[in-house]
Amino acid sequence: MISRRKTLQSIATGVGAAVGSSLFPVLARAANQSARTPKRVIFFLQNQGFDPATCIPSGMNSSGSLAKAKLPEPIEALEPYKERLHIINGLHGLHTSPSHSAFFGALGGYRGSDGVPPSGPTIDYDLSKVLPETLLPHLCIGMDSIENMTAKPTVANLSASGAGKPIFMHSNPSQLYQMLFGGISEGEIRKQHEARSGMLYKIEQMAAEKGKSLPADDKQRFGQYVQGFSEMNGLRERLASVSGHLRKFAPKVDDRYTKPQFETDWHDCLLDLGISALKSGITSVLTIGSGRGEIFGAWKGLGVEQQGHNLGHMKQPDNPIWIKIRQYNSRMLVKLMQELESVPEGSGTMMDNTLIVYTSNNADKQHTNGATWPVMLLGNYDGAFKTGCFTQLDGKRPINALYASILEASGVQCQRYNMSEKMAAKFDSGIGPLTEILV
Amino acid sequence: MNRQSLTPVVAAFVLLGTILRAVVPYTPGEAPKGNYKDFAKPFLSAHCYECHDEDVQKGDLNLLDLGSVDETNAAVWKTVWAQVTLLEMPPKKQPKPGVVERLRFSDWVVNELTRVMADKGGFKVLEDPSKGNYLDHKLLFGPLPGGIQLVPTSTPARIWRVTPQEHITRLNELINTEPAYDPERPGLRTHGDVVPTNHGGELKLYFGTDRIIKWQGGTVAYATAVKSIPVVLSSSRAHGFENYPSFYSVNSAEANQILNKAENILKYMAYGPLSIAKPEQITDDPNTYKMEGDIRGLPSALVYSTKVVRPLTPVYELMKAPEATEGLLRAAVDYLFEALTFRPPSPKESDDYLQLVKGSMAKVGQEEGIFMGLSAIFLDRDALFRPELVEAGKPDQYGRVMLQDWELGLALNHALRYIKPDEELRKAIVEGRMRTREDVAREVKRMLADDSIRKPRVLRFFRDYFDHDLGGYICKDSAALASTGVSTRGTAHYTAMFDATASTDRLIELVLAEDKEVLKELLTTQKVVATNADRTYYGRKNNQEEKAAILAIRKKAQEERAKEESAELEALEKEVAALEGSLRVNPGDSQALKALNKQRKELGNAKKKLEQAKKKKRGDEGSADVTQAKLNGPKIFARVSHRSFGSGSMKPDRILATAPQGERMGILTHPSWLVSHSDAMDNHAILRGRWIRERILGGGIPDVPITVDAMLPDLPQKTLRERMEVTRVKYCWTCHQKMDPLGLPFEMYNHAGLFRTEELKKPVDTTGDIIDSGDPALDGPVKDPFEMIQKLVDSERVEQVFVRHAFRFWMGRNETLNDAPVLQAAHKAYRDNGGSMDALITSLVTSDAFLYRKVRQ
Repeated sequence: MISRRKTLQSIATGVGAAVGSSLFPVLARAANQSARTPKRVIFFLQNQGFDPATCIPSGMNSSGSLAKAKLPEPIEALEPYKERLHIINGLHGLHTSPSHSAFFGALGGYRGSDGVPPSGPTIDYDLSKVLPETLLPHLCIGMDSIENMTAKPTVANLSASGAGKPIFMHSNPSQLYQMLFGGISEGEIRKQHEARSGMLYKIEQMAAEKGKSLPADDKQRFGQYVQGFSEMNGLRERLASVSGHLRKFAPKVDDRYTKPQFETDWHDCLLDLGISALKSGITSVLTIGSGRGEIFGAWKGLGVEQQGHNLGHMKQPDNPIWIKIRQYNSRMLVKLMQELESVPEGSGTMMDNTLIVYTSNNADKQHTNGATWPVMLLGNYDGAFKTGCFTQLDGKRPINALYASILEASGVQCQRYNMSEKMAAKFDSGIGPLTEILV
Repeated sequence: MNRQSLTPVVAAFVLLGTILRAVVPYTPGEAPKGNYKDFAKPFLSAHCYECHDEDVQKGDLNLLDLGSVDETNAAVWKTVWAQVTLLEMPPKKQPKPGVVERLRFSDWVVNELTRVMADKGGFKVLEDPSKGNYLDHKLLFGPLPGGIQLVPTSTPARIWRVTPQEHITRLNELINTEPAYDPERPGLRTHGDVVPTNHGGELKLYFGTDRIIKWQGGTVAYATAVKSIPVVLSSSRAHGFENYPSFYSVNSAEANQILNKAENILKYMAYGPLSIAKPEQITDDPNTYKMEGDIRGLPSALVYSTKVVRPLTPVYELMKAPEATEGLLRAAVDYLFEALTFRPPSPKESDDYLQLVKGSMAKVGQEEGIFMGLSAIFLDRDALFRPELVEAGKPDQYGRVMLQDWELGLALNHALRYIKPDEELRKAIVEGRMRTREDVAREVKRMLADDSIRKPRVLRFFRDYFDHDLGGYICKDSAALASTGVSTRGTAHYTAMFDATASTDRLIELVLAEDKEVLKELLTTQKVVATNADRTYYGRKNNQEEKAAILAIRKKAQEERAKEESAELEALEKEVAALEGSLRVNPGDSQALKALNKQRKELGNAKKKLEQAKKKKRGDEGSADVTQAKLNGPKIFARVSHRSFGSGSMKPDRILATAPQGERMGILTHPSWLVSHSDAMDNHAILRGRWIRERILGGGIPDVPITVDAMLPDLPQKTLRERMEVTRVKYCWTCHQKMDPLGLPFEMYNHAGLFRTEELKKPVDTTGDIIDSGDPALDGPVKDPFEMIQKLVDSERVEQVFVRHAFRFWMGRNETLNDAPVLQAAHKAYRDNGGSMDALITSLVTSDAFLYRKVRQ
């Protein structure tokens, strides 16, 4: 039987990644060897820190099963999904300078700070290069206050394809919808989509015309540029060619897209679009930046009037505001799981081959040195990760080790992720993946 | 037949081949003739098999069965090429091939590798700037041996992608009006200077910062609320030259983002801050805009003045008009095209873009259609790549075509500037006065003489050459940083490093302003451009005894102060008590009451003063780890970024001071360079040594063999010099002797750049050695960096190597042997004019290598 995924992959044959090539040669080499099993990884980073007390069940001081534990109020929505949950405490990010935010360093495992450009690729990008190819290997969405999302619909704070190569997050749901589902849209979105397609074709034509007379060496280099338009146009065409398929997964466009009452309306729309991209097989890696990697953000739709920095200054445990935000995150996680569960894949569902990594871009709190960096994993990633448990680590292994573990589970041997031996001598007591969390 | 019996036959072939080739002159750049069997194998047999056959296999290398070049042995052939080309092989005591024989062999290997690897990513090693020194310096500047025939040089026709910094600076011109050049304050950033990196080292385009008059919140809130767009074009530079034409293209993700950001820019061009803020936020009385609640970090937390400061362009006129007429549309298209490509559009280009805009308008309406259509111009080939294609010219007898008109004018403009040609140059181009060498000489001299024409490319050359701008990007281990004596608070060290880069830039500009013995001055100057933080960075790291002595003195001083203050308080308290007693006896004594009130007030003041003194004590005395440098001098400015992080960031204020005596000598001993050549934990003597070997001595270092585990042992109780002993084993030392002894003299400084006399409680060892420099007069041990630098700056070879680097930067390629006359002329110009950078640049941009292009078939 030809699965839905295979269909899309065959259509996508020859499509290059939407972003530049990896600077991580080990991974690039491994890309062709990665497992055939369709897999997907979702990174969900809530800003302002993730206090371990808001996720570790009361009384759990050491590693053990979650079966008899009661999840804390902020994440109680995950209670029915406990057998899929793995709470990890005791990773560190001391080397990432996470106070306020580690920015690119959160997913890169290197030093980051406000205004500091990425010094290498981030794990989400690298995974997009090793997982089976999709039409749009990596999608990033960013949630913020409505003003910031309107004024700066694309920002780049969390993901990167290499040193000095930031990857932008999408924050305007209408624009993202147009990009993903413009081919099946109607009305204004359709018009915009067509106009932009027409313009891109014209640019491609003009670029190709100007490339004809170039010397041989430059022709090849300029060819990459023209090819870029060809890829953009090709992506539109290919999306259009599977429009029948996409139609089944595209979210319904309503007033929230154009007249949001609160920013959370857009947050919900963006999540819907991310889910659609995953379910339809357009993408295999989704990065969600709630607060967009910075130290602000707003959730007025939840009844949280305070915004931005003040939220970060508050202690999170037993704080009604943070309980609301974390509960909102948890509902989003549940929605992700339910939606992916609804799509059959192989002998199970999409969720069986999915890993959700929930954490923060600044470790445990706003002003932190990163000594503790809690993470929740959801899903076992085709049986690779242990679930239904809490793991307390000794605080001597960095978040890089978690990323190395995900790469291992994705079929790539990885002793260290983005960490030199010299840095590891200071910041990593071990080597290779975290055996405590892998099956 | 065994190898022994083959040798005489092969030797005869080699001899025959040598005789035959000797009569045909060697012309650099011509494809070598011959195949493996009749050309390469005889060479290997004559010069390599002795040590690299199946019996001896020195370095585990057997070349006997190497065979012709193919993809499986390409790596070995590359090593052979590097060793032969760098004159490393055959070894010193073995008979050497002749110069021409060596050059021919080297060319043959490159040619074969290029052919074999053509569909496997290509073999582009020769195009890498770090391999520029593989060409023997003596051949370029010394007499040429017989049998070599040079041809008049030229540079391949090409397109050259703009750098991220150029791109941002070009876009910045559309939305920000930079201040005009002020001769009274020449250091301040002005129109024509680059958009520098921000407080964190990130390159961004900022919107409307020149109109923000109020914001809510602190520095981080400001940085988040301000509209900015990160750089889109990529650059993977770590060390060395940033950009050769062959380095980069533009990928689809970048193109997509350029389109998105184009619409933002166009809207700002049309509407100014109204495109990013609500009307009530634009007011000259910031109090009229009520910021209710906590809105820190939001765009609505900013107030903009009403004064229009952005350039008002035809895009503004078009969007202001009630109707988008053909004339307005075309004016906007033409304006934007020239602003982005630096030349006017051809009629066809103008028509094409006009049609595109009209097409978009028809689909999505006037306003959105205009923005969408105009954004396409941002992706024009010539907005992202600068063409040097000589399509219009006629080839000379050597197949070379001279650049002319716009291509020549823009090539010259790009040699110095990031923004479009100034009016005079534009006029010269339009009037057909940019067609000859003399035209170029006239314009370059004019531009070099005019300080108001900013020339950021010259500064960029020095950044690429010195690599002094990387310190802020070296992530330091906190404990290791603390041990240097500098502040580890927040991002203080990184900020200091970005400041240090700007300071060194400014120092270079000051040396360039004098334009005398530029290289020598940069390497030996005692001047430093300094911020307050530099009192620490140019300070002296105290040893344990010094630190203990300082702490003891401070303690004693504190105790004495406390004693005095206590005594003063006690006396006052006594007086107050006495007065109070007197008043109790005579309650109506108004004189006593008055005196009491006065004394009480004094007592209160004394207590307050004591408290303040106690608070002050904690912060103002500085670290006892460091004896701060006494830096004094006139106030000057450095070119720093737009305000990107609140009012406290990127201050341009500096002083021009003299370095502490006997502790510094030139840029190589400044914190900016030292930290740029350090790592997370310590100094990087190998990197520093490599820098000296390549940039100063013109030597080449072969790539690290993949079998080498390039790690120093992690032994905190050992000095770096001791840990580097591992490189002394023969296998490593062959290469490391070229680097380590040149880098180790800089152990005089710790890895934050502070001067030190001790390391791990022992006197610091600052000795080094110059080995096989290529100039025997330089070779020999040195006691410290000062002796080494002084030796180097007196060498003619060092000056010539500097000229080679300038050639690479301004030509955008490595030199070939055919460029020898250009290099010699450039060096002569530099020397004849007293070490003038202006003379060097003028010579280079009026050379054949700059003016002529050849279309590769």
